[in-house]
Amino acid sequence: MANTFGNSYGLTTLCPIINGRHNNTALDKITRRRIQLLKENSASPFARIPNTYFARLFILNDVFFEQGNDVARDHLKSKYLVFTSNFHGDLDTYLSGMWQHAEAEIRHIWQHAVAFNNVQNEKDFIAYIKKCQLTTSLFFNGSTDDTLQDQLKSLYIKQAFTEFALTHQGKTAAQLRAAFNQFIRQVDIHNPVSPAWSPGQETLSDLNPLQQR
Amino acid sequence: MSNVAGKAYGMNVLTPLRWWTALWQKLIFWVVVKTFPYFLKGLLTLSLIHYARWTIINRWSFPRLDKTQPKETLTYSYMLFESNFNGSWDQYIDSFSFAIPGGLDMFWRWNIKYPKSIPLHDFYHYIRFNQIECDHYYNAYPLASANDVKSAKRLTGNLRSFADSLTDNMTDEAFMDAYRQFLADNQHALGSMGDSPLMSTSHQLVQHHKQVNTAHEKQPEEEA
Repeated sequence: MANTFGNSYGLTTLCPIINGRHNNTALDKITRRRIQLLKENSASPFARIPNTYFARLFILNDVFFEQGNDVARDHLKSKYLVFTSNFHGDLDTYLSGMWQHAEAEIRHIWQHAVAFNNVQNEKDFIAYIKKCQLTTSLFFNGSTDDTLQDQLKSLYIKQAFTEFALTHQGKTAAQLRAAFNQFIRQVDIHNPVSPAWSPGQETLSDLNPLQQR
Repeated sequence: MSNVAGKAYGMNVLTPLRWWTALWQKLIFWVVVKTFPYFLKGLLTLSLIHYARWTIINRWSFPRLDKTQPKETLTYSYMLFESNFNGSWDQYIDSFSFAIPGGLDMFWRWNIKYPKSIPLHDFYHYIRFNQIECDHYYNAYPLASANDVKSAKRLTGNLRSFADSLTDNMTDEAFMDAYRQFLADNQHALGSMGDSPLMSTSHQLVQHHKQVNTAHEKQPEEEA
């Protein structure tokens, strides 16, 4: 109904986990542990997957809510690996990028998901995720729907120009003009790729190389 | 493993609703989508959300991929709410409750045991009880808020236009005037970005352990 909002896409998936054990440990617990041990921020596998704005993984053990005598009690018969993502572009392109850039992690995380043993290649993976997909009922984008590269370039420009404005107060008109022209060349303002922030970057960009070039 | 990734908090809330009211709820969402931005104006005003979504999971639509997988037999359908927002959990719930109480009630009114968004205490309890923690949460720009992303886009577009509008035969003084005008026009988009302020004692503890572990990893092998 509303998986998209402009050029942004909200992917919601529930992937059932096999009810079983390995070395006396439940497969859902093994899966959870693997997810919890994924590296974070720029080292996360999602940082390698093109156009990922946000992504998350968690295990849905059961449904639960405030109980009372006047309501029924539901329990799930399977546990589910919940994978959701907010990204730019269309679903097939995104899932292809996921497989191409993080195949090893995907195989590791989804290893114990029901029917994942049938996934042998990129095409199988796309089909698999689509089987697990739920249609988003209402998707809200409070940010932008630009490509991630454009967003990261803009954030770099924001950081760099704010610094420029701060450090060039009190200059003469001629000094300011020369410095500004040099700044525009150095930030390569029409080049979306470089220099720019990188996905998941945890510290501000070092602007010193910019000053020295 | 955390609900926090830089300046963003990832929230998941799963709540039950009767299967026939789930269909009504879908209709409400459909109307919201069709009448946007009227109903979502409050959310835009909040300005602290990157992306949020509501997904109705009908009681018969939990994915079943193989005959060996037991079929779910549920009484209720479920609504999964997910949000990526800036600030703390408390700030978010407070903002929602105070800014768009009517909108919240419209989105959750059919959910079992939903107490309404006011008074706040019961609403707090309801969300907390039904929240599921993230096992892995990724944010492409941990140092930036949703407002930073939007203002960065405006600033970059304006800066490109400004740079392209400059000519060689312009005097230095004319450049200075234009530059000052540019700064005045774009002052709302200028501002420092960086680490998130600490939101809670647990957040503080996580940051502390990260620093300790990072320092430990940097030790030469013989010292470790």
